[in-house]
Amino acid sequence: MNFSLTDEQRMLVESAERYGRDKYTFEERRHIGSNPEGFSRQHWNQFAEMGWLALAIPESCGGLGGTATDIAMLMEPLGSALIIEPVVDTAILAASLIGASPDPAQREQWLGRIATGELIVALAHQEQASRNEYDFQVRTSATRTADGWSLSGQKHRVFHGAAASVLLVSAHLEGTADLGLFIVDSHSAGLSSEHYELIDGSRGADIRLNGVQVPATALLMNGGLTEQALEQALDQAILAGCSAAIGSMEAVMAMTADYLKTRVQYGKPLAQFQALQHRMAEMFVETDQSRAILHSALAAVESTDAGGRQAAISAAKYQISKAAYFVASQGIQLHGGIGTTEEYAVGHHYKMAVMFDQRFGDASFHLDRSSLGIDQLDQPLKGALYA
Amino acid sequence: MELYMTAEDEAFRDEVRAFLRENLNEDVIRRSNTGMHPPNEDDRRWWNRMLAEKGWAASHWPAEYGGTGWSHVQHHIFELECRLAGAPELRWQGLRLIGPVLYTFGSEAQKSRYLPPILKGEEMWAQGFSEPGAGSDLASLKTSAVIDGDDYIINGQKLWTTEGQYCEQGFFLVRTENSDRPQKGISMIIIDMKSPGVTVRQIPMINGEGSTCEVFLDNVRVPRENLIGEPGSAWVYAKFLLSNERTSSADIHKARADLERIRNIAAHELKDGKPLLGDAGFRRKLAALRIEVDALEWSVLRVMHEAPSRHPISACASVLKIRGSSLQQKLTELMVEALGQRSLRVYRRDEAYAQPDGNPLWPAYTPGVTADLMYLRSCTIYGGAMEVQKNIIAKLAFGF
Repeated sequence: MNFSLTDEQRMLVESAERYGRDKYTFEERRHIGSNPEGFSRQHWNQFAEMGWLALAIPESCGGLGGTATDIAMLMEPLGSALIIEPVVDTAILAASLIGASPDPAQREQWLGRIATGELIVALAHQEQASRNEYDFQVRTSATRTADGWSLSGQKHRVFHGAAASVLLVSAHLEGTADLGLFIVDSHSAGLSSEHYELIDGSRGADIRLNGVQVPATALLMNGGLTEQALEQALDQAILAGCSAAIGSMEAVMAMTADYLKTRVQYGKPLAQFQALQHRMAEMFVETDQSRAILHSALAAVESTDAGGRQAAISAAKYQISKAAYFVASQGIQLHGGIGTTEEYAVGHHYKMAVMFDQRFGDASFHLDRSSLGIDQLDQPLKGALYA
Repeated sequence: MELYMTAEDEAFRDEVRAFLRENLNEDVIRRSNTGMHPPNEDDRRWWNRMLAEKGWAASHWPAEYGGTGWSHVQHHIFELECRLAGAPELRWQGLRLIGPVLYTFGSEAQKSRYLPPILKGEEMWAQGFSEPGAGSDLASLKTSAVIDGDDYIINGQKLWTTEGQYCEQGFFLVRTENSDRPQKGISMIIIDMKSPGVTVRQIPMINGEGSTCEVFLDNVRVPRENLIGEPGSAWVYAKFLLSNERTSSADIHKARADLERIRNIAAHELKDGKPLLGDAGFRRKLAALRIEVDALEWSVLRVMHEAPSRHPISACASVLKIRGSSLQQKLTELMVEALGQRSLRVYRRDEAYAQPDGNPLWPAYTPGVTADLMYLRSCTIYGGAMEVQKNIIAKLAFGF
């Protein structure tokens, strides 16, 4: 076992940290958040140039073939910088789904264009009745036509749906019990969408499909494969999001520590008050434990035991959701009134914590998901070394 | 990053498991698992000897003093398997605390006199650090050591000396000079616990036993050669001693064993006629603690391997102590909750260690759980109280 970074990983982390410091400053971030598109195409293109959008894509499809650990390394500094761009949604979640297609031609065609930054792809999967992305009960239907499929239904809460030129639409295949995943141009005839702003400045969409005609090749996968691919892709998105959330926590701790050292009240810097020191120490504990549980999940990704993998990833989501809330909320508290203002970064980290908790299943959902099998006494609970 | 066990590690685990299976018997396992403090003295001395014969008693010591040269992961596997198998817990103070100080700072004479009996479990060690007026603020200690010919004459009182009633030797912090910096005049010295003037008195604790002691030192005459290292340098050795122990303060192996114990109790205790373990509310509590244990275990591995971090490793070590000790308490609280009202019965040591009589009203998993809960109130206090650990983090991680 070793925790050292490879040279490539170190370069990746340093380049992302530098980018956050020099180019994606908080002022820039605020500016992007007020852009009606809800992201910056200019930064997106630079992400592509840095190779970040290719990291999760296999080499055979024009990507860099990075591991889950590589992706986590990249995401931490991007989380510190509070990037809004859909790195997780497009370059990890959508890329993973497309990569699960059994058709190599489809994989190559789409993944290469994600890697170059040409395409923003969003998952259009949730519907009115679904509580989170892990709900696979969809009502949107796909009906066979002479040369393909006709899609009808309504998709709700499509994250980055306003920016996406391509959508991955889940639909129930008519006449079967199968769930299919279709790749659909967002400008297709019969497709209409309504956009709205989300708390982090990104834009979501509700999408209506009214007999949208797609060719047979648009069906990327169906049946059990779809659910399996969704589950795996969501799990990967969670790991990336977890790492970004840890980056956010580190940023909150750093800015709060700086603030406590400079702000003077009652004749001395706030940093000298023990109650506040201890609060910072508690934030440190939560962040440290978040990093540790992320390692647990990264180790489990390598494991062949699917149940153990899911439990470990859910455990990470639960811990890190709670920790991100705690750290950001205490960051605001320790800043006092200034922390609640729009022009100060710490409140935006809090918004990120809320987004992170709600995306891909909240803490309660993952607590239950992590506990599957906890009552099977013949199976000891596996720890770090038995993942 | 390679976050997995190698085939070599797996083989090592099998070897450890086989050794434990062959050598531990049911009575020892039952006594070890009851959670009485102090644990059974005969069992732990016997087990120390068994491990010494195998060459595993002081696994983390350098090979030249009887250690094994195992990797971090192998140490972790060994400790975990011992705990899960119900092996007696070896006494900490000799093997873990003073042993490394002696082989690092001690004289050749001290090494050859004291290390072999520690290794074999023949001499147990008492730790004399705290005093009535010096708890977390150890630097204010008052016990004095004054030179008289070839000896020191030692006077003072020590407190919270764990299991001092069993110990043959002790390592004590004493003031050898009055310095303007309170840490500076403190020395570390070895005292034979049978010396005239040493009185050990057990303190009745809320767990119903005397797991810790007061030690009175009344004109105790100790040879000057018993001083460890340089006079006035004990602060350095004490810090070394604690930094050596930076990962064991998490007590991660016990936490893993406790999770299994809670599951076992909750699988047999009924709520509305069904196993408590199936109750959604209980499961969530257990699941949340299991996640804390998983996180703690990985943070232990990170500190063991000195994983790259933007924060000082000592701050991360304080996290282990903070989270580990509070988790010990939460786990035993949930265990007591699982037991329900059965947890309210007091078991004396002989009852707790007795063969289960098969009475379904008082299942075999009942004794000792609540004694452990009571005992563990101390674990957020000893070894640097929770609040002191938070001070340390604030200073090391944030520069406050």
